[in-house]
Amino acid sequence: MKVAELSAITSAFQEIKNRAELRWQTLYDSGKPVIMVGTATCGRAAGALEVLKAIRDELKRQNLDFPVIEVGCLGHCYAEPLVIISKPEYPPICYGRVNPVIAERLVKEFVIGDNPCLEFVLGALEENDLVPSFSDFPRAKYEKKVILKNCGQIDPKEIDHYIAKGGYSSLVKALHIPPEQIIEELKRSGLRGRGGAGFPTGRKWEVCCRAVGEPKYVICNGDEGDPGAFMDRVVLESDPHSIIEGMIIAGYTVGARYGYIYVRAEYPLAVEHVQIALRQARRLNLLGKNILGSDFSFDIRLFQGSGAFVCGEETALIASLEGKPGIPYYRPPYPAVKGLYGKPTLFNNVKTFAYVRHIINDGAECFASIGDERSKGTAVFALAGKVVNTGLAEVPMGTTLRQVIFDVGSGIPGGKHFKAVQIGGPSGGCLPESALDLPIDFDSLSDAGAMMGSGGMVVLDEDDCMVEIARYFLEFTQSESCGKCTFCRLGTKQMLEILNDITQGRGRIDDIDMLSQLAEDVIAGSLCGLGKTAPNPVLTTLRYFRDEYEAHIKEGRCPALMCRDLIAYYIIPEKCERSCDACVGTCTVEAITTNKKRIKVIDQEKCVKCGTCLDACPPQYNAVIKLSPPSEVPS
Amino acid sequence: MKTISLTIDGKRISANEGEKLLWVALGNGIYIPNLCGLQDNSQPPAACRLCFVEVEGKEKPVTACTETVTDGMVIDTRGGKALRLARTAFELLMSSQQVDCAHCAKNGSCELQQIAHHLNIKLKSNRFRRILRELPIDDSSSVFTYDPNKCVLCGRCVWVCRERLGIGAIGFAYRGFQRVVTTFAGEAFADSKCQECGECVRVCPCGALVFKNDKTEEEQT
Amino acid sequence: MAINNKEVTTTEEQAKVRQKTRQILKRFGRKQGNLVPILQKVQGKLGYLPREAMLEIAKFLSIPGIDVYSVITFYNQFRLNPPGKHSIRVCLGTACHMKGGYITLDAWKRRLGIDRGETTPDREFDLDSVACVGCCVMAPVTVVDAKPQGKVEPTKVDGLLLAFEIEREKKS
Repeated sequence: MKVAELSAITSAFQEIKNRAELRWQTLYDSGKPVIMVGTATCGRAAGALEVLKAIRDELKRQNLDFPVIEVGCLGHCYAEPLVIISKPEYPPICYGRVNPVIAERLVKEFVIGDNPCLEFVLGALEENDLVPSFSDFPRAKYEKKVILKNCGQIDPKEIDHYIAKGGYSSLVKALHIPPEQIIEELKRSGLRGRGGAGFPTGRKWEVCCRAVGEPKYVICNGDEGDPGAFMDRVVLESDPHSIIEGMIIAGYTVGARYGYIYVRAEYPLAVEHVQIALRQARRLNLLGKNILGSDFSFDIRLFQGSGAFVCGEETALIASLEGKPGIPYYRPPYPAVKGLYGKPTLFNNVKTFAYVRHIINDGAECFASIGDERSKGTAVFALAGKVVNTGLAEVPMGTTLRQVIFDVGSGIPGGKHFKAVQIGGPSGGCLPESALDLPIDFDSLSDAGAMMGSGGMVVLDEDDCMVEIARYFLEFTQSESCGKCTFCRLGTKQMLEILNDITQGRGRIDDIDMLSQLAEDVIAGSLCGLGKTAPNPVLTTLRYFRDEYEAHIKEGRCPALMCRDLIAYYIIPEKCERSCDACVGTCTVEAITTNKKRIKVIDQEKCVKCGTCLDACPPQYNAVIKLSPPSEVPS
Repeated sequence: MKTISLTIDGKRISANEGEKLLWVALGNGIYIPNLCGLQDNSQPPAACRLCFVEVEGKEKPVTACTETVTDGMVIDTRGGKALRLARTAFELLMSSQQVDCAHCAKNGSCELQQIAHHLNIKLKSNRFRRILRELPIDDSSSVFTYDPNKCVLCGRCVWVCRERLGIGAIGFAYRGFQRVVTTFAGEAFADSKCQECGECVRVCPCGALVFKNDKTEEEQT
Repeated sequence: MAINNKEVTTTEEQAKVRQKTRQILKRFGRKQGNLVPILQKVQGKLGYLPREAMLEIAKFLSIPGIDVYSVITFYNQFRLNPPGKHSIRVCLGTACHMKGGYITLDAWKRRLGIDRGETTPDREFDLDSVACVGCCVMAPVTVVDAKPQGKVEPTKVDGLLLAFEIEREKKS
């Protein structure tokens, strides 16, 4: 771009930035306390909207007009709903597990009064002498927030918050740099695609940049379909502008005119926030015709997916954008050369785009200094399942699984034992304890049979059956298979039938061999990535937990006491307390009766094995147990 | 167009640059099992996964329908890895296929029979569990009968109806194991925009679409 | 696999569906790339995608009706049958599954007397599963009328249903 033009861009942005910074500053300089409530989907599921209402109602009752801001997700999902109160002379304090009653108290006692209600504090956002800060948490040693930095700290519906925190300056910087140099910078940073496959981002941009065809497209793949993964959702909901900025830079670099953000229909809040963000960016001329007065024009549209896991596959996603069923087609040509409507199309994951602005702003070296030899930067994981600190964690590449699960995640709740971690969703695998010291990067996990995937991590403990988890994933991929190619449509169906038989006690001893043969063929024979990776959960569980398969088949026994057809609930008469009938009342099918001695008995015929009685039995008696095989129940 | 030469199963063959291997092989009398491809469809669906072959220098078998021929290419259609995949694919197809040759009008001209013969496996293989779908037969057309239980979802009929004839009476609906070739809203062919030209029946490789005047073996005797 | 068209029976109702569909179509360009957004909008308005609407959309985009039908039956989001007043979506993501989402689904089935993908005869509830709503930390999750509810175990199913009943009694 011409020099005159460049200075015009800079001054146009400076004006926007000044305004934004002023707004942010007045928020805190007014001397009023600022209250933030985390209302991302995870917060809402825990009741954040009720908390928000309670705070607003209480302030209204007290006739106070203190700012109440809705922010995204801080990553501490285990303690939702979260409320952050910033008050002059106090550090910003984050409260966890807030309910409307606590919220009202916080307003009365801390916002208005002077009692910081230490009993509800989760942590302070800054170091101080009063309350422990998040940086004092043991997990802080392992965490490194790059793309999650803004999440939960700004209002995602306010572009000014994003700009005040340094947002869109990378775009301005990028507009000063020739595209080839941006590609070089990306290459030097070592950034690899965060969608799962880990393809070098700089190379992809280069291919698309050189590809011939007009107009070119940039697509952000936010079709986060892996069950158990919610990293993209959090970034889309909590910091949508970081993705938009990355996409605009991509558009400038490859010479694209249009972009699409493809978000799953199951993420309505993400859709809403992205739409608002796009509108705001357009209003400030950061998006649209002649961005910031330059000769570069680029606009982004939001596209809502309609519920098909296979659309995470880029050729299927393209089909769906074109108004067709999401059915993958044969590659090459790759989309970077021939994609949407036959034009060069750059595809990247939500997180990949979110990293771009940091690389442009802080330089390739800064990004490359994080991580290990082969994988650079940070990795974002969604921790779920049997782990104490469920939520999001951003750690440098090369951090071990053990550090993420036990140090960041604080291990397994309830004194149970770790059994496995399911990583990478339906395309990944289950890794056992022996793999816990593996560094997490693109390559080492695939050697172990899993893959880093997009970052979903579900922790499993001794109560989780490994055959069942394999069956679960097969059921998932099978029902999400588009049905086009034989191996995926029928191969996964056959594998699922075998696993159904095993978990229901009808397994045959040759089934294990059949499963592994079929798995190999489905991997080698399938047309697209969905089929090529679908057998991974089966292969890894067979590799590390073969004994569980054998127990199911040979003894009709589920060692984890999970498979419902292979277990029975039983009340130990000696332990059952006569005066207690907690289980009788909670049984959802009236299968529990009291006998003449006032001991409770389960009618095995009626029992649906929902486990409510086991949860209801007071811990001092612990009379309800599970037995496997069901024939263990004394008659 | 440039002519190139390649070797298939030890036989030297010349072909036009840019052609797909499957059609080069078939055109030279070398059979490779296939169901979903049609030579005038420039975008191979690559759906049936039967045409696996081994190419010298490539570690993994490739599908012949998507592989563009290159000069000096050496191909083995009978390699162990390729045949294993083709066999598994075929057995998977047959495990969810209604097999009733004696009562089928395509008996003798059926491509499934040809493939079974070529791969040296039985049509009714018992390697896998039999998982059948029981879908209603559509007998409403005056020209043909459609039995979705015998359909291998190759999609030739869909392509011909739409691309070659420009009618678009049929297409795929649902997904995964439920995937099916059907008319708009699943209505009967007689009520659909089908023009009863019968082109779909002519390209159907098996007994899913058969002309009503084709007699089965039993009816003939 | 024919679709259930009991809903739109009279020509009057058919005309109404066509008219409502046309109203929505006015906002869109006539290119196939708009098919999915159009279907989302029409379903948002009508609750499902009746035959008349599909035909209207096909005509608008100049594509065969089967192409619209293919897309509708391919994606989880689209319905060929009218929904209930309240929608119950049981999350079966990994975390929910391992924490007993399938048991929760069973409880809903038992209580409502319907299977996945069905609507109760009184049109009050429709039940389905959903792949993952990304609230894994609140597992097991059920999305009730678009609001994710955390830790829905069989007893909470009863509680949620009771809340609906109380609501209904209040209204009547």
